[in-house]
Amino acid sequence: MEALPEFALARPRTIAELAAARAAHPDAGLLGGGTDLMVNIRRGIVAPKVLIETKGVAALRTIAAAESGFEIGASATLVEIAEHAELRRHFPGVAEAAQSIAGPTQRIMGTLGGNLCLDTRCIYYNQSQWWRAANDHCLKTTGTMCHVAPKSRGVCFATYSGDLAPALMALGAKVELLGPAGQRRLDLAALYIGESRHDGKGKGDGKNFLGLLPGEIVLRVRVEDRGGWRSGYDKMRIRRSIEYPVAGVAVALKREGDALAGLGIAVTGTNPRPVLLEGTEALLGRAPDAAGFAKLDDLVRDQIMAMKTTFTQGFYRRRVAGVLARRLVERLWNI
Amino acid sequence: MPRLLTLTLNGRARSDAVADNLLLLDYLREKLGLTGTKTGCDGGECGACTVLIDDRPVLSCLTLAASCEGRRIDTVEALSADGKLNAVQRGFHEKLGAQCGYCTPGLVMASEGLLRRDPDPDEAAIREALASNICRCTGYVKIIEAVRHAARLRAEAAAP
Amino acid sequence: MNDLTPRRGPIGAALPLVDGPDKVSGAAKYTADFLPPGTLVGRILRSPHGHARILAVDTAAARALPGVKAVVTGADCDKTFGVLPIARSEHPLARERVRYRGEPVAAVAAVDEATAARALELIRLEVEELPAYYTAAAARAPDAVALHEHRPGNVERDVLFELGSTAEGFAKADLVREAVYNCAEVCQNQMETHAALAEWDPLRGRMTVHASTQVPYYVHLMLARVLDIDMSRIRVVKPFVGGGFGARTETLAVELIAALLARKAGGKVRIVLTREETFLTHRGRPETDIRLKIGLTKQGRITAVECECTQRGGAHSGYGVVTILYAGSMLYAIYDLRAVRYVGTRVLTNTPPCGAFRGHGTVDVRFAFESLLDRMASELGLDPFALRRANLLTAPTFTDNDLMVNSYGLPECLDWVERESGWRARKGKLPKGKGLGMACSHYISGASKPVNWTGEPHATVKLKLDFDGSIVVLTGAADIGQGSSTVMLQAAAEVLGLDLGRFRVVSGDSDVVPKDNGSYSSRVTFLVGNATIDAARKLRHMLCEAAARLLEARIEDVEIEGEIFRAGHQDKGMPFAAVLTEALKDTGTITVTGTYSTIPESHGGKKYRGAAIGGTMGYSYSAQVVEVTVDEDTGRITVDKVWVAHDCGKALNRLSVEGQVQGSVWMGMGQAMSEEAAYHDGLMVMTNMLDYRVPTIQDSPPIEVGIVESNDPHGPFGAKEAGEGSLAAFLPALTAAVADATGLRIDDLPATPDRVYALLDKRRRQRGGKAAR
Repeated sequence: MEALPEFALARPRTIAELAAARAAHPDAGLLGGGTDLMVNIRRGIVAPKVLIETKGVAALRTIAAAESGFEIGASATLVEIAEHAELRRHFPGVAEAAQSIAGPTQRIMGTLGGNLCLDTRCIYYNQSQWWRAANDHCLKTTGTMCHVAPKSRGVCFATYSGDLAPALMALGAKVELLGPAGQRRLDLAALYIGESRHDGKGKGDGKNFLGLLPGEIVLRVRVEDRGGWRSGYDKMRIRRSIEYPVAGVAVALKREGDALAGLGIAVTGTNPRPVLLEGTEALLGRAPDAAGFAKLDDLVRDQIMAMKTTFTQGFYRRRVAGVLARRLVERLWNI
Repeated sequence: MPRLLTLTLNGRARSDAVADNLLLLDYLREKLGLTGTKTGCDGGECGACTVLIDDRPVLSCLTLAASCEGRRIDTVEALSADGKLNAVQRGFHEKLGAQCGYCTPGLVMASEGLLRRDPDPDEAAIREALASNICRCTGYVKIIEAVRHAARLRAEAAAP
Repeated sequence: MNDLTPRRGPIGAALPLVDGPDKVSGAAKYTADFLPPGTLVGRILRSPHGHARILAVDTAAARALPGVKAVVTGADCDKTFGVLPIARSEHPLARERVRYRGEPVAAVAAVDEATAARALELIRLEVEELPAYYTAAAARAPDAVALHEHRPGNVERDVLFELGSTAEGFAKADLVREAVYNCAEVCQNQMETHAALAEWDPLRGRMTVHASTQVPYYVHLMLARVLDIDMSRIRVVKPFVGGGFGARTETLAVELIAALLARKAGGKVRIVLTREETFLTHRGRPETDIRLKIGLTKQGRITAVECECTQRGGAHSGYGVVTILYAGSMLYAIYDLRAVRYVGTRVLTNTPPCGAFRGHGTVDVRFAFESLLDRMASELGLDPFALRRANLLTAPTFTDNDLMVNSYGLPECLDWVERESGWRARKGKLPKGKGLGMACSHYISGASKPVNWTGEPHATVKLKLDFDGSIVVLTGAADIGQGSSTVMLQAAAEVLGLDLGRFRVVSGDSDVVPKDNGSYSSRVTFLVGNATIDAARKLRHMLCEAAARLLEARIEDVEIEGEIFRAGHQDKGMPFAAVLTEALKDTGTITVTGTYSTIPESHGGKKYRGAAIGGTMGYSYSAQVVEVTVDEDTGRITVDKVWVAHDCGKALNRLSVEGQVQGSVWMGMGQAMSEEAAYHDGLMVMTNMLDYRVPTIQDSPPIEVGIVESNDPHGPFGAKEAGEGSLAAFLPALTAAVADATGLRIDDLPATPDRVYALLDKRRRQRGGKAAR
């Protein structure tokens, strides 16, 4: 028997009810499948007074062809995304990412919205109340120090580990948000603000990693079928199930004859945000050759910053991200 | 504030007053005494608490009882309700898919969920479907045999 | 003992477990499944400090909280507990000092979880911090503060022996190599978290405890000790137990704390530990550093062995003395060794106490030993099988440290895995990135001298036959999933020649069953099995006597077949029912007692101080071949298949033997590849099943089992153990396979992808190539 903190559960059925509940309880926890939030509640990491269950909102459970692409509702489950035949055909990278998450039971429970908004993770954070107190807490909760980087001057380095975000970002997906000020749409990549910059110029870090305005919620993502793009997802884990990525890489590319005509690469499990690699256009206009891969290595090395937030060494996570990226590009190029 | 929860549990409709913060696992074990469903970890990491909701495996340790309004829940106790072990239970028993037995109810329910969806799974499908469940005794070799055996038993029972 | 040749009976069959239906139906009740009305919730407050002097534990506010029925601290119990009578250093709740982060300091019993949790928050622990040592090296530093005053230098036990002359041995060798190995600390992580239900009967002053234990007898002893009441006032019940693997060999604080709370509250208290607390309770395999030196002739004969072993034992003695002794003595009894020097050091550190983990004491040293053999075989151009075959024992024999080896199926194990894996045809011819490796291991079938031995038989079993024709096997042996109840039932039915359906096993209730030393060191099948056979023979004799009276025949002519008692083949015989009536005529219910004691020759030689432990009536043997694929770009090792042959003497239940051997191999795989209990300033980091990476079904290979039956002269029907001996060989067989695939030698475990990658990267750099950036 678990002594969970007391909370009230709201179970909206429509988007309007969901929005109203959110407006009434801006600090509420949004409950999708519970595979992230309930674990954190059980560990005493968070204790929202109100939980708003999103799965009952039928309008958010749809995966549908829309305009020239797909719309996936925030309450669509991971297994629905992984097994959706049309989605698999058009955007295999998204389905592969969904299929790679946690284990089969978690995928039956978990939702798109939950995975996109997955709390960042750290060995000093994903621990019990007793453990965190014994370790003087940390920046991401009530502490004053980041145990990963004690000299971080207030910056938290907890790692973003969602798999769907990079898969969707590599394809240029947009996310639709609903808040007190109404709906807005932005690049999914822009949802993630955890840059963790020491110079204070970045907006966010591992603690403040989502660019949601107060009271705002994720409604759905939209991914355009731009024609001729191939996509894939691969990740390294120590075990092959029930595990967050040591590093995960999504690639979307367009091949025109013997030249790369488009390339998007996004990485998860390393930084406090999923990183859409900048500068991949340097590989365009020719086949992915040794020089191109060397450039890709440089991009990964410059932009992927894996700190000691997991027990798997940071240098390894960065390097294996590079290996996976290269392999995925090769695989998709040769399809 | 407790709410009235109405659901179908192991084939029978029932209503109970439950608190919003009551886990499905604790509702089953502590309120109803259905202790077949086990607790093995501190949340979502071992699969011992797996039950079926509308025929699909779910971790009852991360599910709120109040979220199950109107749903159909099956626990391990449902499978032998008619006084006989069902095919999956026989499979696990006869092929030594259970040693200490603690992970077994969860694995039985995950396997039951698989066979309800895919009556003739190959080894890859079995591995895929049971990958949220940890067993510390068997090394899984005999669990895979158990599920294959269960599929055969089910097919035999269904044959005219 | 094994003049009993199994015939058509249940011995040797592949029989499902007798308690299987309970397990698959959810009917099986484990400790946490008992919740009698009025049971209080017990919770434990644990030290956040690694090493500190306790100045005060203020429980006033907690005691004043409505709904709190009892609060206990170290002040409530000044008795120590511990598995070894010579090393009881631990209090159920810390007194004076806390010595690791997670050590119990206080506990509460309250009406519900929320109240208990709130009460813990109200307890104030005031301490003065002391220097804390989280590594063996730090604890052994010259100026280190002693964790326990009676253990200066923080050495729990040091061992030194040299049998034969290693100097001469190394001088005779053609190749001498030395290497250093490290195995991370690992946890049993059995699926059931630790739990105890204590019920104090204030009217009679009696205590009943349900406990998730492997050894109810030890719990019984320790309850009497810490409660300071007579043993006769205590009842220990062991319900279904969700695995143990050694973690529950020792009495754990949880059982004792529940009892202290129940007595103080005057009622019932149940404590169910979280998974995190179960990790912190620990008793796993210690982090071990090994420096090993071996001398070989060109033909592969071992001429000398020198082994230095250091174990980070944790904050209390626990089983430590035994573990460090086993690590040395069990160098023997697998190969013919003539010169061995062993230096072992068990160190006390400010980490949770280690204990006995499946393969107790042998695993990490076996990893080192087989690894170095494999490396040296390749240097000498010898096949690893040939190297092992050059060093086999010839049974019966006594080793140099006086270990008695009566049956030795290792040669057949080697033959089986070599043949089944296609070793000769495939070794060295696999595609790039694939490799084959082999190794051997062994284990005891029960320590021939139990700890806490009071001179009585090593095992006692009762059989009860009553008017209904049922035969109840009454045994204290704890079935923890290994299937001991099933084997006892098979053994009794085999000897009696009666229908299996007549038999039932009752175990695990000290009010009913005879005392047993418990389920550890793979003792149950061998020792309790022999006691069961003894009891069954006595009962058979009584039944045959009754039948002889009815048949007017000589007792020695009576045979039992198909439940018919006959005197000779021509006799039409007497049915069991008639014999039963006759047998019960004078006494009513019959209860017979069977016993078994090990023979003195199996006790090991007293003359070799520190080398004699490890004596047993029978050693099991195992050989393994592991096939792997290594991805050199990512460092990921994939185990494609395992072939394992295990000499269990005689397979009493083929299904169980296969299951035990597969489970052992697989558990070795977890240790070799992904499991690790790591610390951050003495705080165990992997205290959950996400970070403590037990392999999932997707990580687990097919494991083909060959059963080798060497028919041990003392084993029950010739049997020896089957549940531990195959664990250790996996580790070195894996790394040998990786070496075969890549040329890379992995000496530190677990071989997680990041570690393997780092080694590959280092090699790339050393070879002057460009390392990956």
